[in-house]
Amino acid sequence: MKEVVLERALNFLLQDGKFDVRPLDGKTLHFSMLDFPLDANFICTNNRIFVSKDAPQNIDVDIKLKASVFLALLQGGDLTELLRQDEIIINGDVKSAQLLVDLLQQVPLDLEELLSVWIGDIGAHQLVKLARKLKATERPISAIKDKISNFLIAPSRHS
Amino acid sequence: MQKTTHFGFKDIATEDKQDMVRGVFDSVANKYDLMNDVLSFGAHRLWKHYAINVANVKTGDKVLDIAGGTGDLARAFAQKVGDSGQVVLTDINAAMLNEGRKNLIDKGTCGVQFVQLNGEQIAFADNSFDCVSIAFGLRNVTDKQQCINEMHRVLKPGGCLLILEFSKTDNALLEKFYDFYSFKVMPELGKIIANDEESYRYLAESIRKHPDQETLKKMVLDAQFALCEYHNLSGGIVALHKGIKAQ
Repeated sequence: MKEVVLERALNFLLQDGKFDVRPLDGKTLHFSMLDFPLDANFICTNNRIFVSKDAPQNIDVDIKLKASVFLALLQGGDLTELLRQDEIIINGDVKSAQLLVDLLQQVPLDLEELLSVWIGDIGAHQLVKLARKLKATERPISAIKDKISNFLIAPSRHS
Repeated sequence: MQKTTHFGFKDIATEDKQDMVRGVFDSVANKYDLMNDVLSFGAHRLWKHYAINVANVKTGDKVLDIAGGTGDLARAFAQKVGDSGQVVLTDINAAMLNEGRKNLIDKGTCGVQFVQLNGEQIAFADNSFDCVSIAFGLRNVTDKQQCINEMHRVLKPGGCLLILEFSKTDNALLEKFYDFYSFKVMPELGKIIANDEESYRYLAESIRKHPDQETLKKMVLDAQFALCEYHNLSGGIVALHKGIKAQ
């Protein structure tokens, strides 16, 4: 049932014409959580996306990640940065994965509500909190650079 | 040796089934919608609404509705595909197709095309449709595998097949109630409302003879669909099978 909700939300975005998924046409992307029994297949065909628990025989891009990293991605996390930190394993075309992540980031889903069905309210809350932390620290180098720049521009604020 | 098939719980000659099913639907056509509402307590509308949502049909799409009867799905599809799309409503039974045509005209739905055809021999070219649906029709088809093969043939690569059909519930309590309702209440209601007990007894029996969820899924995959999944509705009393044709 959750797949139907996600599928409807994704295709609503596509119908709006705000997103071009033609580069994904004919591809199947498989998301699986390393620490959580949750899989989803995104089958991109004829300018639409089907979301399914069942996988077809040929998967073009296989994406493995922890649940908290998946949530961080959905909340706007940077795929490249998370890849650099070895938080995600991608077998296949990274560009395709990036495009799907970009699309997923635009879906207005209440993740905590969605997750609570499987792991309860407390578990869902903790996981989303962890994802937020991860997202906040996903650019350690840029964060340090920003802090140094801020310090150089306005040292008095940091004293 | 003569080939046989089932007609409800009876074994009959394969070549006789089509005529016998036609007899049932000729008899129930003018009361079909009313009976559906009464017998399912209106739930058939929710099941169809769910199927439409799962279909993923977009503006401009071409949709084929097999055994579309009184046109519930075709009407909803016509709204989805808009003026740039195309919906073809088909049924083997002329009486049902006429009811469908009347319904759609009454409800102000334009642009739907009507074709009388047998689901085992779909008279359209290969790779023609974005979506092909059959709702509560497959169990009446003599050669179900052939019908699924044909639906696969006319679907475009990447297109979506939808089969909405009665299925098997795995809840023992629900099953007992459902058996009582199907075999005792349904024929009685058929007698009272449509003056036709036998047709509604056949409908109940044909549901029990229809393949269960996993068997039907296998049949869809055997027809070379890249993927098939099913969604149980109302505890498995109805199942929606969705297949995607390989690109």
